[in-house]
Amino acid sequence: MASQAKRQWPYWEIALVVAIFGAGAWSSTLSPYYLSIDQLFGSTRAFIIPGLLALGLAIVVSLGEIDISLASIVAVGTVALAKFSAAGAPLALAAPVVVLIGALCGTLNGLLVAKWRLPSLAVTLGAMGAYRGLAFIVGSEVGYTDFGDSYSWLGSEYLLGGVVPASLVLFAIAAIAVWFLMHRTVYGRRCFSIGLNRDAAWFAGVDVVSQKVIAYALAGAFAGLAAIVWIGQYGSARGDNADGSILFVVTAVVLGGVDINGGRGTISGVVLALFLLGTIRNGMGLANIGGPTQTVVLGGLLVAGVLRPVAVSAAARLTHPAKLKAAGAQGDDIGGQ
Amino acid sequence: MKSKLFAAVGAAALIVGLMAAPSFAQQKTSGFKLMMTPKWTGFPYFELTGEGAKAAAKELGDTLVYAGADHADVSLQVETLQNFVTQKPDGIILAAIDLNAVAPVLKDARKKGIVVGTYDADAAVPARDLFVNQLSYDQAARVMLDAALIDAPEGGEIAFIAASPTSPNHVAHMKIMTALTQSEDKYKVFKVVDTQYAGDDDAKSYDVAVNLMQAHPNLKVIISSSAVSAPAAARAIEATGHVGKVWATGFALPSAIKRYLENGSEKAFAFWDPYELGYVAAYAVHMKLAHKFEPTEGAVLDVPKAGKFTTFKDGEVVYGKPLIFTKDTVGKYNF
Repeated sequence: MASQAKRQWPYWEIALVVAIFGAGAWSSTLSPYYLSIDQLFGSTRAFIIPGLLALGLAIVVSLGEIDISLASIVAVGTVALAKFSAAGAPLALAAPVVVLIGALCGTLNGLLVAKWRLPSLAVTLGAMGAYRGLAFIVGSEVGYTDFGDSYSWLGSEYLLGGVVPASLVLFAIAAIAVWFLMHRTVYGRRCFSIGLNRDAAWFAGVDVVSQKVIAYALAGAFAGLAAIVWIGQYGSARGDNADGSILFVVTAVVLGGVDINGGRGTISGVVLALFLLGTIRNGMGLANIGGPTQTVVLGGLLVAGVLRPVAVSAAARLTHPAKLKAAGAQGDDIGGQ
Repeated sequence: MKSKLFAAVGAAALIVGLMAAPSFAQQKTSGFKLMMTPKWTGFPYFELTGEGAKAAAKELGDTLVYAGADHADVSLQVETLQNFVTQKPDGIILAAIDLNAVAPVLKDARKKGIVVGTYDADAAVPARDLFVNQLSYDQAARVMLDAALIDAPEGGEIAFIAASPTSPNHVAHMKIMTALTQSEDKYKVFKVVDTQYAGDDDAKSYDVAVNLMQAHPNLKVIISSSAVSAPAAARAIEATGHVGKVWATGFALPSAIKRYLENGSEKAFAFWDPYELGYVAAYAVHMKLAHKFEPTEGAVLDVPKAGKFTTFKDGEVVYGKPLIFTKDTVGKYNF
């Protein structure tokens, strides 16, 4: 069965690619400014920070858990960077420490969820407030803006003739790394197995607790990385940084085809979903379409993402009732692309 | 850096090629393309500033696009501004959510020759050409204390509700109000006893107001610079049976506090005319584009329909027309 599942067409990813081109074509009719290389590459910068968070969140969701505190961890990271910058520390020291701080915040979430088996939504809801409060305390009353060029390089520099944002290259590397981790290593395979059936994975000898803690630590580390990009992009470290961006991140993960209950999903789907959401928002933004309309469209896509597994299984039941029975509960895209 | 420069030159050459003559036509005096974004769209206050700006643009022969996200999120505001810059407008008008976070994209816009004007909430000074300030901090502090004097002429304990410790205008207002209650005879009847933060959130403001009344039994007036918190405090006073003992005041839209003024549970609130503020902001950016106004210290912006406004340090044009609403005057305003 597994080999058959592997050879299956990645229908959802193909649908997303078609939708991206459709949205691009639509955008180019909405605004004459849409189709230009500078514009297209430049607009991706708006999605790097939620994109990095989505990569981390995808690992957590594959386990059947959630982490909604990631945006708050970004704020902890930005105010920590402000402290380093104020103290005159070089970025070479500050960057790894901030990624580590993010990983520590994530580890704490992971321990609470995995070791003491608390519900992840409740744990990370609390952590969301706690980390946000911490960021406000560390960041004090006024924001910090006095960052040197080295601190802002990653989030503001353009490479390859001044066209490709450095942060986009970083995101591409991160996406490939997470794809490899989730689809080409034992760690990734075990994540999906825990998400499908936690107890079965445990009986098979999988160390469920450390798997989960590592996933949360990785998600936190990506939030730390996102904090470095934030500083370059916005040059402002305040306690309220990245507040309210988690909904977009969850939308990207779910629309990307990662089952919110865990066990299924692909990293390529998440990346494609980010590009789709980005293309739609870029096009509507250039056409100056109002905020409420944009929110309705994005909300509609989130619902589409959640309904997808239901629709797929309903369609399968209608067309191949017998085959589905034989396949049983086996996931259709485990270990896919 | 070098490659960036080449790209910039290339882009400039491309723009020249595409746009040919029009953008370089000398001494253009109207027909400017203006783009405006508030902190967030959908809130009546900002919608009115947008309508005012549109009216000014129409009278001056310009076009004005008003757009933005439906909640206050700085990354979305930067995205909106980026989209504006891509559309090559002549002028951008905005109310900044985070004065520093919008700076990089606005500096980029200014480098491309776009005139940037802020209103309501300023951006970092080097990132914009001018700031149309609704009221100077001092004016705002005084008008709120004057409204408090209407509520409680005998004075007493006062408490503040602000949005957050990072909200620059709220913090400045509270500092000046506290100083005035210690230095000026007129305001010495008041004593500041507490400061709380409610993040411009209606429900939180309500809870904070209830807590303040419990914590300070002799509290007389709750003052807030937030147009969300002040009406919420009035609601809390009415709901907890403190009418006549505690008063709420500060900045609030007349429509939000009309019923409290009319049923006598509150006496006075303050604000300014958002429609006219938006009108003046668009007017100022237009005049700067037409080379008829330079926002240097002491320069006067003459807006025939609204008045003459003086420019202070760092291109701050003070609109400065506070309004106090009471039971008798609140009916005159439709916002």
